Amino acid sequence: MPAPVPPPDRTSDAAMGRRSFLRGAAAFGGLTALAASLAPLRELGDFTSTEEFLQKYYKEMTPEEMARVLARIEREVKHQYGIRPHVRDLKPMDGVEFVYCLNLTRCIGCRKCVHACVAENNQSRNPEIQYIRVLKMPHGSMDVEKGDHNYKDAQVPDKGFFYMPVQCQQCENPPCVKVCPVNATWQEKDGITVIDYDWCIGCRYCEAACPYFARRFNFTKPEIPAERLNPEMAYLGNRPRKQGVMEKCHFCIQRTRAGKYPACLEVCPVGARKFGNILDPESEVSHILREKRVFIQLKEEMGTSPRFFYYFDK
Amino acid sequence: MITAARNYLVFLRRCTRIAFVGDWRYYAWMGGLTVIALLGLNAYAKQLVHGLATTGMSDEVSWGVYIANFTFLVGVAAAAVMMVIPVYIYDNEELHDLVIFGELLAVAAIIMCLAFVTVDLGRPDRFWHLIPGIGQMNFPKSMLSWDVIVLNGYLLLNVYICGYLLYCRYQKRKPSTWFYIPFVFLAIVWAISIHTVTAFLYVGLGGRPFWNASIVGPRFLASAFTAGPALIILALQVIRRVTASGSAAELKGGIDVGGRPGRPATLADLELLARELPEMADVPEADRRRALAGAAVIEASPGEVLLRQGSASPHAFFVLVGRVVVKKQEGDLARITRTARPGDQFGEVSALHHTSREATAIAEEQSLILRLPDTALKVLLETRAMHQIVHSRMSERLMITDRSLLILRGIVQVSMIINVFLLVCEVFKEFYSGTTHSASAKYLFVGLHGHHALVPWIWTAIAFNLIAMVLLVLPLSRSLKWLDVACVLSIIGIWIEKGMGLVIPGFIPTPLGAIVEYLPSVNETLVCLGIWAFGLLCYTILLRMAVPILQGRLTKANEGQGDEPDAALPAATPH
Repeated sequence: MPAPVPPPDRTSDAAMGRRSFLRGAAAFGGLTALAASLAPLRELGDFTSTEEFLQKYYKEMTPEEMARVLARIEREVKHQYGIRPHVRDLKPMDGVEFVYCLNLTRCIGCRKCVHACVAENNQSRNPEIQYIRVLKMPHGSMDVEKGDHNYKDAQVPDKGFFYMPVQCQQCENPPCVKVCPVNATWQEKDGITVIDYDWCIGCRYCEAACPYFARRFNFTKPEIPAERLNPEMAYLGNRPRKQGVMEKCHFCIQRTRAGKYPACLEVCPVGARKFGNILDPESEVSHILREKRVFIQLKEEMGTSPRFFYYFDK
Repeated sequence: MITAARNYLVFLRRCTRIAFVGDWRYYAWMGGLTVIALLGLNAYAKQLVHGLATTGMSDEVSWGVYIANFTFLVGVAAAAVMMVIPVYIYDNEELHDLVIFGELLAVAAIIMCLAFVTVDLGRPDRFWHLIPGIGQMNFPKSMLSWDVIVLNGYLLLNVYICGYLLYCRYQKRKPSTWFYIPFVFLAIVWAISIHTVTAFLYVGLGGRPFWNASIVGPRFLASAFTAGPALIILALQVIRRVTASGSAAELKGGIDVGGRPGRPATLADLELLARELPEMADVPEADRRRALAGAAVIEASPGEVLLRQGSASPHAFFVLVGRVVVKKQEGDLARITRTARPGDQFGEVSALHHTSREATAIAEEQSLILRLPDTALKVLLETRAMHQIVHSRMSERLMITDRSLLILRGIVQVSMIINVFLLVCEVFKEFYSGTTHSASAKYLFVGLHGHHALVPWIWTAIAFNLIAMVLLVLPLSRSLKWLDVACVLSIIGIWIEKGMGLVIPGFIPTPLGAIVEYLPSVNETLVCLGIWAFGLLCYTILLRMAVPILQGRLTKANEGQGDEPDAALPAATPH
């Protein structure tokens, strides 16, 4: 039977002193251990700023607030790279819906588009993030599982193979937009699906949802040599990203919304890439989609309805 | 109002204090968990600084063990409901108090779930973007926003239900039906929904054929209702062991005084009882007089035994003065099932049902006890208020009987059979049709193009599940030893099958056909261990508070009596 009598020494002064000393020592030890385990956070550095933390959602910002945000980004880029960039918030143009057409007969798999894209869009060089993945495919099949992702550039074009570059397909019905829990990615009226890098929480649900492996995550702090930085930037486009956010091809928004072609198109040595406004019946892409017998929307059965069309000359 | 707030704060303070008191085993356990949790915190701090590159994840396999553990734990949380259903829908008395342990496990599991999704975020500093009103919650389109709502809602529901029931018990108040029964039923539906929504998180992705299958939802529920109750079976046995007040031998000693003649009870004694038990006031004087026939008042000194487990006598008891502790022998251990204070009954169940005594009642203080023959008790119970209070208190016993573990075994058994059946359905569909869509399944079960990282894992899981199923079906697992083996095998099997076996192959091959394998990094593993340790820490603390309340050791009645924690706690002082 447990005796309900408390041990008498508990009330003695010595015992009380020992108990409170032990209690104090335990609390002190615990706090020290807590502080020690959090010590790596001292290197957190410019993870975020109050201004960035409190920044409003893109679609809710007034033009003045946007101007302040653009100024902040310019300041941060200047601070980090020593170059003052020109950051704009380019809006979609009326009567424009962008479409990309890619001629699989012409593409030789040289990957010039891949590297031009990295240079244009200020992707991290270490680790290098690439928006375009070129698949080397055996003749006769569109089954991507047969594709080789790691072929050597020097051997192109190889007999018996064709090359298929894949990048964001700018779907009309984008699964990535649907799944984003915070609306950090959305489709603009010119058909481009964009990401607000300052709103993304980095859950990578969009990356899991994308049927084209088009999205890239900044698993660590992106590194760009200052001399390689492209200073012509757009908020929803190629401004430098932070650690822990998603990015992807945006049809070079900083160029195409200013009347230029995407970088991947300009660099293509064989003219395999065509880009333009599908709402303009005179545009090259309208012509291709009207005249070519067969064109392919990758994984058509997904119901995503890409704005990226593959076609063959012959 | 102010008194109510004050009472509640005192309750919280006493609960908090109790969490810091225990014997050396308790301190060792909590200390060990704290160390692991801090190691995990340290690993997470490194991850915050250097990014998710510290994990094994990549653009190809963009979710890993964090989301795998999250998925498994949502199932554990949902499974708490499997204890609620037998109690509230089928009125099972055995499991009554154990429901709280299941719900507390749900609370701890949800806390772990929230921690696992948080560590998976690239920008946890932007969590507020998820909060409706100030942020931009993409509801109802994004399944992840559904998950945020249902998980937090489930956490609140369970905290509320457990908190309310425990506070009522602490105050010796009968829980008001309207304040919790609707929430209990809501929680049942909610539990199903948290796991369905988590399954839909995967099912909704058309680009991932391995997940885009309608069987994933039912499989999630079946595996959750296997692993969850299996975990509860193990947890209950641990609780039973560590909350023992000592060995069964302590119930052997003491002088039996329950059968002493005592002195005949008088109306004044009933009046004394009415002071502590207000419902007595409703009993009309005529009935009181009738009840006095054969009633006696006996005196008991500390250590004297009023009734003994296994014996038979047709008497019920009420404490008039003093305190009586009721202990039950389970195996070779004794445990406090409740504490009777002035106004409380004991021995009434076996008196009314003419069964042998289920526990041993021992006086803890110099006590005055009113002893009533069953006929007299029945007279008192003719009054509605008395009937209600006595019956509601009958279930207030903290019992963890072998029988209740076997009820849970039945649940694990059926769920495991369904789980294995659904697995067979899935394997058939993937392999018989042999479409290009089965690449992930091939990678998982037999390897693809020379990559087989997950093959040993999934076959281990399948072997464990099958062995567990056979054990559960055989009468062998009626013995706790084999039941425990089956439970451990099911938990590990399902953890692999649902974690590594579901999340990872969904990414392999990528939608463009590339195969990039995944292996968690050391840092990532440390974060996982840290979260598990933190979750166990939370569960232990919650149990530490709940057990003494359920045993009647921590009540409003003993508030301020030398600020009890040590004295009130059975686990604090092993004899």
